[in-house]
Amino acid sequence: MDRPDSIIHTRELRREFKHTVALDSLDLDVKYGELFGLVGPDGAGKTTCLRLLAGLLNITSGSVEVLGFDLGADSEAVKPHIGYMAQLFSLYGELSVRENLVFFADLFNVEAHIFPQRMARLLEFAGLTEFTNRRAAHLSGGMQKKLALACTLIHQPQILLLDEPTTGVDPVSRREFWDILTDLHMEGTTIVVSTPYMDEADRCSRIGLMYAGRMPVCESPQRIRDQIEGELIELQPEDWRGAGSLLESQAGVLEIQTYGESLHLLVDNAELRLPQIQTSLHANGLSFRSIRTAPATMEQAFISFIRQIEA
Amino acid sequence: MSPRHIWAMTRKEIHHILRDRMAFFLVIISPVLMLVLMSYALAVDIQHVPVVVLDHDRSALSRAFIQSITAGDDIDLIAHVSSMDEIEALLMRGTIKAGIVISPAFTNDLLSFRGIPIQIIIDGTEPSSGGFAAEHIGLRTEEFINASLASQFQTSDLNIDSIQPIDLRIRTWFNPSMKSEVSVIPGLVSMVMGFPALSVAMTLAREREHGTMEQLMATPISRLDLLIGKMIPYAIIGMINVFLLTLVAMALFSVPFNGSFLLFFALSIIFLFAILALGIVIGVFVHTQPAAVGLSFLVIFFPGFFLTGIFFPIVAMPEIARLEALFLPGTPYAVITRGVFLTGVGLDVLWPHAVMLVFLWLVFTVCAALFFKKKLG
Repeated sequence: MDRPDSIIHTRELRREFKHTVALDSLDLDVKYGELFGLVGPDGAGKTTCLRLLAGLLNITSGSVEVLGFDLGADSEAVKPHIGYMAQLFSLYGELSVRENLVFFADLFNVEAHIFPQRMARLLEFAGLTEFTNRRAAHLSGGMQKKLALACTLIHQPQILLLDEPTTGVDPVSRREFWDILTDLHMEGTTIVVSTPYMDEADRCSRIGLMYAGRMPVCESPQRIRDQIEGELIELQPEDWRGAGSLLESQAGVLEIQTYGESLHLLVDNAELRLPQIQTSLHANGLSFRSIRTAPATMEQAFISFIRQIEA
Repeated sequence: MSPRHIWAMTRKEIHHILRDRMAFFLVIISPVLMLVLMSYALAVDIQHVPVVVLDHDRSALSRAFIQSITAGDDIDLIAHVSSMDEIEALLMRGTIKAGIVISPAFTNDLLSFRGIPIQIIIDGTEPSSGGFAAEHIGLRTEEFINASLASQFQTSDLNIDSIQPIDLRIRTWFNPSMKSEVSVIPGLVSMVMGFPALSVAMTLAREREHGTMEQLMATPISRLDLLIGKMIPYAIIGMINVFLLTLVAMALFSVPFNGSFLLFFALSIIFLFAILALGIVIGVFVHTQPAAVGLSFLVIFFPGFFLTGIFFPIVAMPEIARLEALFLPGTPYAVITRGVFLTGVGLDVLWPHAVMLVFLWLVFTVCAALFFKKKLG
């Protein structure tokens, strides 16, 4: 069923490599103006998915339509309308910031009279105005990523496909980068972005959780958090190994996740189980620094989903 | 075809070459450097070959003979020895490359027209020096015989004109002094012109290494524009190289240029596009720059050295090697470089080789266009 409001539309999309199925019968619909996050463990098929959407890989079977173009038939026609940023993308180091932008403006046929103001706006946007003539190789990692984003935006694409754009970038630059993405999202650009960071996933309007070439979960962040079975108790025991093995077999404890020295316990009913767990710890001589109920985060939801799938 | 896309690629590539010192060295300096170094190393003109003489005759005539063959710079007489054992010992130690043994009957046999009994013992482990010594001694011996017989006739009653002494005249054309640089350098020019192909293969591999190739594939640039844009700067640099190499060959090594410059440059452009297309085919199959270098040496430089007939005649090669030589742009180009430099022939003679160049250009361009895809994996 074609839905006219979806800008990306895949059915039974499958891509095999020599020994693996990188993407297996993916049905994905992304609507106009969505900020769609792809999350999942390494090797889950996020990069393959984005490359297929950008027309960079041949399809093994199934169909993919982007902006109404059938990429299986012709992957070139859609390219002027999308902005794709590869995971490895490191720009041309010997070219200056301006020359990199000019290069991509040429390839995307940006009209000469429009270019100067658009470049100025993008540089401003990315906070790179004062580095216009600096060689890309001499920019910091975070600035390189922002320049790369500026290059993929030079033709004002309707869709942005970003493959882990903030991997290896410091937290401040990461936040700045996402502020830019949020602005673009507000302006109406459709964005599909893969990320290993759950705080970033939280900023998306919808998240597709990928696992082993499939997308078993595709919901808004709020609904994903809501879908976690049970409620969360955060416990900081003195001996987390002892506490962990004790609580594993407790009635009402669904799952235990370890975070540094604290344990996150997913329980069926936090109000009911909190006193029960405290009593049990005391009875076994295991002391703890703090125990409290907490709202579930994306990260817990993510780990919980993966465990459910693997089990 | 979009001129704007092609120009964007070309300009980017030129920036890269001019700003990356390594790239600049590789494409502009190294062909000239290679030519100069190899020309000196391969200048196989042998001089000062050390020899000893074992003279059993010890006559005035034998001394004159020894003097005549060791005159000049070619052969250095380092000692007179008194036994074969000494010659053997010196040869084994490598002190000498040849030993000359003069029989006790030297004067007698020579004057009674029974030929001259001399023996030359050569160090076969280094055939070029030894062979050169033997050839040289042979030539000088003939000269000596002619000269001494002539003087003999003058003192006898016989009429000099009634018996013709040996008259052997070898004349070498195109390279009268037989300087090996002169014959080798035009061939070397065709070989070092493989560098632009290496560079273009490396630049494709480099885009892959840096992830920029993936980025390029996501843009609307067509495959053909991408490849043309990448080839143009290396074709220009290749022409600069042709010019520099010609200059170096003529100025530094006094290689003559007897043909037409215009024809040479025109055929060089065709050769460049053929070898650049081959470079792109290489670049399509490798994913790292070291692999690009390795494969270029395997496909362009080694065969360029051994199979294009620069040093080893193609007619002497086994069938399979001749077949491979046929598909190297360097093979017809080597004939062309030698032709325009040394014999000074024109298109009336060189046309089959020019046709072959055009053919190879088309073959490799079609291969490049077929193999280079705007897809990953």
